[in-house]
Amino acid sequence: MIVEFLVAFIFVLSIIMMAYLVRHFVFSLTVLGILRRKELPAPKNIAYEPAVTVLIPAHNEQRVIGRILQRMTELTYPENKMQIIVIDDASTDDTGKIAEDYARRYSQIHVLRRSKNVGGKGKASALNSALGYAQHEIILCFDADYYPQKDVVERLVKPFSDPKVGAVQGRVTVLNEPQNIVTRLVTLERIGGYRVDQQARESLGLIAQFGGTVGGFRRTLIESLGGWDESVLAEDTDLTFSVYLAGFRVQYVLEAECYEEAVETWGAYWKQRYRWAKGHMQCCSKHMFKLFRSKNLSFKQKIDGLLLLNIYFMPVLAFFLWLSGISLFLLDFPQWINILWGPVQISLLSFMGNFAPFFEVGIGAYLDGRKRACWLIPLLIFTFLYNVLICTKAFFDLIVSKIFRKKHHSWVKTTHSGNGNCYIL
Amino acid sequence: MKAHKWKISHLIIGSLIGLIMSSAIFLSHLISEESIIMLVIFNLLFISLIFPLDGPLSAKTILLSAGNIIGFAWNYLFYLFLYDVTISLKVRFDSAFIIVSPIANLLWIVSFWSISLTTLSSSKTRLRCET
Repeated sequence: MIVEFLVAFIFVLSIIMMAYLVRHFVFSLTVLGILRRKELPAPKNIAYEPAVTVLIPAHNEQRVIGRILQRMTELTYPENKMQIIVIDDASTDDTGKIAEDYARRYSQIHVLRRSKNVGGKGKASALNSALGYAQHEIILCFDADYYPQKDVVERLVKPFSDPKVGAVQGRVTVLNEPQNIVTRLVTLERIGGYRVDQQARESLGLIAQFGGTVGGFRRTLIESLGGWDESVLAEDTDLTFSVYLAGFRVQYVLEAECYEEAVETWGAYWKQRYRWAKGHMQCCSKHMFKLFRSKNLSFKQKIDGLLLLNIYFMPVLAFFLWLSGISLFLLDFPQWINILWGPVQISLLSFMGNFAPFFEVGIGAYLDGRKRACWLIPLLIFTFLYNVLICTKAFFDLIVSKIFRKKHHSWVKTTHSGNGNCYIL
Repeated sequence: MKAHKWKISHLIIGSLIGLIMSSAIFLSHLISEESIIMLVIFNLLFISLIFPLDGPLSAKTILLSAGNIIGFAWNYLFYLFLYDVTISLKVRFDSAFIIVSPIANLLWIVSFWSISLTTLSSSKTRLRCET
């Protein structure tokens, strides 16, 4: 009985794992130009330059807030069409002071200070508080540790000329890549995610993901959705699916690049990914059934959405698959499992580096001309193993919170050292 | 964004070489079925994703051949090594082989993939932040 159960379990999980492997294989072929959907006529030379509001939520970001505010004053977008709101979210350091200093010098910069009573509850809460102060229809969002290219606003607002575009997402790359092995591996993850994954999903007309930063959305749309859901830790994924379910789409703009200060320690990596994993799992339970019932999504978008919503469960399942496989081999096993086991192992172990397989990360690095970065691909196996632990803990914590009907999940902020400043030319 | 042309001639030649090498390895009966499956997966990924990239066909052909030879040697030596280990530790060979062999294969496949891309990759430095 146990053997039959394990065989069935392994078989089902193997199919799921291989579905992900095929998905990433298709993505890799797509960015290489081998698979591509029919090109839509690109809106070229459109004089579309709307007024925009830029939101910068910041909680204890004194080491990096000056960097992004300085960059905001250097953007090529017309100053009179920009309203920049820094949300000082109950900071206990000099974040507010530095922002106020910039606000005094530049008329387009404004500071919204949140007291300890109402602030410090996470990004979604901070963004909701600023929504009422935003004057313009197009709202862009940047995290405080980011450093955008000068014409990023032009590139991000252009897709909004299409009324079906509800949100846009730009590309995230790592500023402090040479710092240490953690930042180098995060760089590879980002390459796989943004150079291949997001670009392929955009090209294939699937679910391009809004990443919460280096992106924008329509104010009326977010208001009609009731603002950000403060109970969800991954407010970006939540917004992505809300946008698609509302009949709009997210457009990914590869050329709109912005540098981030990546986490520098394994401890910080754990905290950040734990929040992402838990938030993503929350989104899965929130949107899964709505996704299937939606009439605004095509069949392929539903399949892609399903795979995207469940991606953080995969390391957990990989862990159980591995245990089941070993148990089965030690007990007894049907011969056909032998044949299945090899590809399954390739599939599950290829969920390394933020779940992009090694070949996808490699293709991304190649397309970016990152010759030296390719050498580090084998080390992504460690981030995969680390993610197995992170996601498994997030999964069990979420189950416990569901059992005890705990609705509030504490937001653990990623600390930024400001070390990325030395990499700015 | 520079468009990457699909080098169909490279793909056809790569597929032929992959087919010949896989057949030769299969007919040698020196490595297990599981190892042959891993080599087929390696060939499939390598031919479909590396051969369309820019770079001379000769380099790609050498890399593909080297990959197959390394994969074959790796699996053969691993088989012999594990056989000795299981005998000395008195554990079941088939179970140990099935559990460990995919990981052992992944080690050489990912490393070889990384080396191949480095070989083919252009050394151009990426534009940083602004041009």
